[in-house]
Amino acid sequence: MKKKILIVGGGTAGTMTANNLAKKLMPEIDRDEVEITLISDSKYHYYKPGAMYVAFGKSEGYEFVRDQRALLMSEINFEVEKATQINTKSNFVKAQSGKKFEYDFLVLATGCEVAPDRIPGLSEAGDWFYTYEGATKLAKKFHDIKRGRILVTVNFPKTPNIPHQCGIAPVETTMMLHDFLTERGVRDDIEIVYTYPTVAQAVTNGLFMQEPTSNVLPSIFDSLGIKHQSGFTLSKVDPKKKVAISAEGEEIEFDILMSTPPFTATKFIRESGISEALDDEGWLPTDKQTLKVKGLDNVYTLGDTVDLPVSKAGGTVHNQTDVVADNIASELRHGYTSESYDGLVIAIAQMGLSCGMPLWYNYDKDVAPTPCSKLGSFVRKGFNKGIYWAAARGMV
Amino acid sequence: MSEKVEVLKTKEMQELEAKMTMLIQTGRIDNLIDLMALVSDNIEMTTSPMVEKMIGTVDNLATAGFITENAVRYAKRESTKNEVPSLFGILKLMGDKDTRKGLSFMLNLTKGIGKQL
Ligand SMILES: Cc1cc2nc3c(=O)[nH]c(=O)nc-3n(C[C@H](O)[C@H](O)[C@H](O)COP(=O)(O)OP(=O)(O)OC[C@H]3O[C@@H](n4cnc5c(N)ncnc54)[C@H](O)[C@@H]3O)c2cc1C
Repeated sequence: MKKKILIVGGGTAGTMTANNLAKKLMPEIDRDEVEITLISDSKYHYYKPGAMYVAFGKSEGYEFVRDQRALLMSEINFEVEKATQINTKSNFVKAQSGKKFEYDFLVLATGCEVAPDRIPGLSEAGDWFYTYEGATKLAKKFHDIKRGRILVTVNFPKTPNIPHQCGIAPVETTMMLHDFLTERGVRDDIEIVYTYPTVAQAVTNGLFMQEPTSNVLPSIFDSLGIKHQSGFTLSKVDPKKKVAISAEGEEIEFDILMSTPPFTATKFIRESGISEALDDEGWLPTDKQTLKVKGLDNVYTLGDTVDLPVSKAGGTVHNQTDVVADNIASELRHGYTSESYDGLVIAIAQMGLSCGMPLWYNYDKDVAPTPCSKLGSFVRKGFNKGIYWAAARGMV
Repeated sequence: MSEKVEVLKTKEMQELEAKMTMLIQTGRIDNLIDLMALVSDNIEMTTSPMVEKMIGTVDNLATAGFITENAVRYAKRESTKNEVPSLFGILKLMGDKDTRKGLSFMLNLTKGIGKQL
């Protein structure tokens, strides 16, 4: 009988994994023994980090959108369907249309989403660059502001030791903001205040979720005249007075609030009953080595939806996808898994509009901060505008 | 009175010094320094729009490669699976939506080339 592999979610993780699986299982596909299907709730594929550049008027946004079908190898069946229900006993996923997708192996890759409504007042008075709509709104505000204060806040999931989406993004955008306002000639009249919550994964009272980077940030921010403060966990926003209120009891006024809002897994996952995360956040309980959903032997997950302590980043997915693809291929062929994820994350952080900092870390080692460079920024921009699509297609 | 200054060097520094000495003695160091200066100048002279245009070209090539690779693999698999089609079989193949999509793409491609001739 033909084995069915179903992937839910056509983002970075789902697309890379579908293509990598097709490559690895080509002999079985040629013999008509395996079928790979990907379903996604959108006909389009968004390169999400592009939104950061939109916020600073450095990109329009359309450059970062492609037809999902065009990114998939022709062996992969692709259907635009929104998954609404998962039945892990009878091995099927049901879509909003009523269509049932049966599977022998399932990969859950529906990412995460912003949940600003979890903080009273944030939706009305706050801004975020994590969506293209949000980034477009911010771009206008950043372009118009002449004086005042831009406050940066960061919220972490309530479930312990889980990061928000793309851990370095608040630092990146704070530095890009500094460059952008300097370019506009208004930096002297605008105060940038970067805040960080008391608890950020393993770090308390720092400026970043990893100790070594947290330790070097004060001197970097000082050199750019960026004010910084730890121990500010945003808990409420007063939209009328434009005041951000922290759980620690402090109030800071702002003209623009650039927030990293709370994040949750998507509704479909939150309602699946599989997650044990706090506060209905929905992160999937994930085996840190095999990348299987704990307790479900034929269900894998990767990307932003997992409950692992590693960054929710494309540079994480790129290292997880082959583990998932290899393990599924090995299980199909031999009945056991063959690969193990070591927590590796590789990325190039955009530290300002024209400086790039390569970084890598894994379960055992934190990021060792290095100076950023012009060359690093070129590599990053090259990745944004071209190499990403090749990576999504499983070509690199 | 002269004083002898002794600098303590790590093993790595000593190895590096020996290698550098060899490069200097053989005259290769001049070329290497020129090369480093050239690389550095190129980084300085490159701009973001240049990088984006260059990578756009690479992306176009990769996309063309991806489409072609997929199509060739598919065609190969189908040709192996099926007998050489009769004239009627070819007409039947033309009834397939994907075949027609591909064919009209090829015709438009031909038109696109024609426009440039
Ligand atoms: C502003 C910003 C900056 C970033 N910067 C970086 C960076 O510098 N470096 C880096 O490595 N990463 C960065 N990231 C993170 C990176 O984009 C994500 O980690 C990555 O996209 C995660 O991939 P994913 O497939 O898990 O989720 P996504 O890419 O979000 O894909 C999820 C997919 O699932 C689909 N889906 C959702 N629900 C359903 C459903 N019910 N049924 C069917 N389909 C569904 C969605 O349509 C989507 O296609 C950044 C992200 C943002 C927003």
